[in-house]
Amino acid sequence: MQDTTHPDRSITPVGTEETTFSERAATVYRERVIPPLRYLRRNTLMVFGLCILGGLTLLVLMSYLFYRQEDLYGEIQGVNGLSSALSVPARVKPNWNPFGEFPLGTDEQGRDILAHLTVGTPLTLRIGLIAAAIGIGVGMVLAFVAAYAGGWVDAVIRVLVDSLIPIPGLVILIIIATSLTPGTGLTVDQLAVAIAVLSWPGPARVIRSQVLVMRERGYVQMARMSGTGSLGIIFKEMMPNLAPYILASYVGAVTGAILATIGIETLGLGDIDAPTLGAMLYWIIELGALLKGQWWWLLSPTIVIVLLFVGLFMISAGLDEVANPRLRRRV
Amino acid sequence: MVLKYIVSRLAMFIVTIFVASTIIFFLPRMTGQNPLEEKFYQEAQRGGYLEDVDEIVAAFEAQYGFDKPLWQQYFTFMVNLTRFDLGRSIFSWPKTVNQLLAETVMWTLALSLLTAFIAFGVGTIMGALMEWKRNNTFLMVSFFPFMIWAAVPYFIFGLVLLTVFSFAWPILPGYGGYQTGVVGWPNWAEWDFLVSVLKHGTLPALSIILVSLAGWAMGMRGMMVTTKGEDYMLLAEAKGLPGRVQFYRYAIRNSTLPQLTGLALQLGLIVSGLLLVEVVFAYPGVGGMLMSAIRISDHAIIQGTVFVLAFGTASATLIIDMIYPFIDPRIRYGAA
Repeated sequence: MQDTTHPDRSITPVGTEETTFSERAATVYRERVIPPLRYLRRNTLMVFGLCILGGLTLLVLMSYLFYRQEDLYGEIQGVNGLSSALSVPARVKPNWNPFGEFPLGTDEQGRDILAHLTVGTPLTLRIGLIAAAIGIGVGMVLAFVAAYAGGWVDAVIRVLVDSLIPIPGLVILIIIATSLTPGTGLTVDQLAVAIAVLSWPGPARVIRSQVLVMRERGYVQMARMSGTGSLGIIFKEMMPNLAPYILASYVGAVTGAILATIGIETLGLGDIDAPTLGAMLYWIIELGALLKGQWWWLLSPTIVIVLLFVGLFMISAGLDEVANPRLRRRV
Repeated sequence: MVLKYIVSRLAMFIVTIFVASTIIFFLPRMTGQNPLEEKFYQEAQRGGYLEDVDEIVAAFEAQYGFDKPLWQQYFTFMVNLTRFDLGRSIFSWPKTVNQLLAETVMWTLALSLLTAFIAFGVGTIMGALMEWKRNNTFLMVSFFPFMIWAAVPYFIFGLVLLTVFSFAWPILPGYGGYQTGVVGWPNWAEWDFLVSVLKHGTLPALSIILVSLAGWAMGMRGMMVTTKGEDYMLLAEAKGLPGRVQFYRYAIRNSTLPQLTGLALQLGLIVSGLLLVEVVFAYPGVGGMLMSAIRISDHAIIQGTVFVLAFGTASATLIIDMIYPFIDPRIRYGAA
């Protein structure tokens, strides 16, 4: 009892018997929540980015409440298996402007645009997140293998990475799409995998050079001399210090992957019937929405896409600041 | 040392081209589809008779060398590529892919080089000024729109420009590379034609320039923060050098190298973006041709175009890598 009143015990280590739950929570809050928040206050870019993406998520969630489940994802109906979702064609009256009964209007093929965006935004984001995760994973493994094995392994990986980077990703995607699924376009999942296959060289290059630098740092040398194995060094010493770089490359890879899906779908090489953002742009261009004055059809997906990219860009710029403290603003 | 660097960089270039062309050769052949057969059966159905199609297909397959074993096809493909022979189009037979590319490649090259130089030059200097003259209101205010522009894909920004300047307030054309429907055009000697080309090029060029200019400015601004704190900047100031010399000779020159590295790394992305802009504006460049080839699945054109794009991007990267040392004497050939 005496101990808890002692001034030195005001910061009680988590897990000692005397602490109550509320004290433990307070400690965690003080040590784990406040410092990052305090840092965020200085890193305004990251805050802006997080706010934009958070706001977008909130909008999508709110419009989920606006619809019934079967209106969004549909149910199989009738002999021809047509889905009844509002985001597939010919479900609602076409060409309604936003001032009618539909909040964002309807498109020329009879889709509810808000329903389309509500389903499409998470779908497009999902492609980006999955593709980037696979890409970063492969890139990271190759980077560590290259940096640690050295010699000819490193040489082969480096030559491969350096020779793949100048090839424009979109044109390789075009070759993949036109040859694997001629005429129909890649499905959403195929697209994610195809983009993942193309998105590892960039991260591999960045992480490899960081690993090479980090391997010579004092604390890693220290760990090596005290008998820590390579895996121990990689996971216990390097990973925590690499985290900002990996996160920054991940956000960059997500941006690249989303850009690639939207691009390839705009060309009509994705699944043009899936309710993704890119497929929406494909139909807008294909059916000449602007020529017919259907501005609302273009307006809402453009706003969503711009918000998405601006949010990701700001987060990645903010992460850059975490990863390279030299870039931090000198006031 | 110089020779060693040049040779190793050239070897890299050859590996890039080799990898790209191998992908271009094998991916379409992995799936076992037959574009020739498809085409002729389509034609035959359209014409209403199905006589001798197999013989015709066989004859054309012999023309394309599809009857030979795969390794032999691959060998011929690679040998032809070294002579820049991209074969013949399937749907516009007997035009060669080179002939078709010749009609479009200049448009793309002009658009991309012009926009790249303007955006990189202006963007770099503006970004540097943003950090250099921190009390300039115009530069401070332009930070925020730049931040947003830098993040947006070219073609999305292009769609916005198209909506605003071609439909809402129609002052610029948003379709094609020149005004169509005039007899005798394209005629490069005619003044009106040149004006129409410029007018049509304005929106596509602007959508690329504004976005990438903002990107370079943001990057350069970040680099200047670091450069401003370096000791040699302090020395330059202490020596009493005029502000202009400090800015151009000391600050810009030292922060440009990472920008150039960024340019080399992003060329692939820039080319991808350019293709989409061409599609949005129906510009008569390589992107538009690729798009129409995809529509009719003319694999010869698709493969040829993709090869040319990969080749062009790799060459541009090579050129940038070669001019590093002229910009930054700290870089020694071979040291990297």
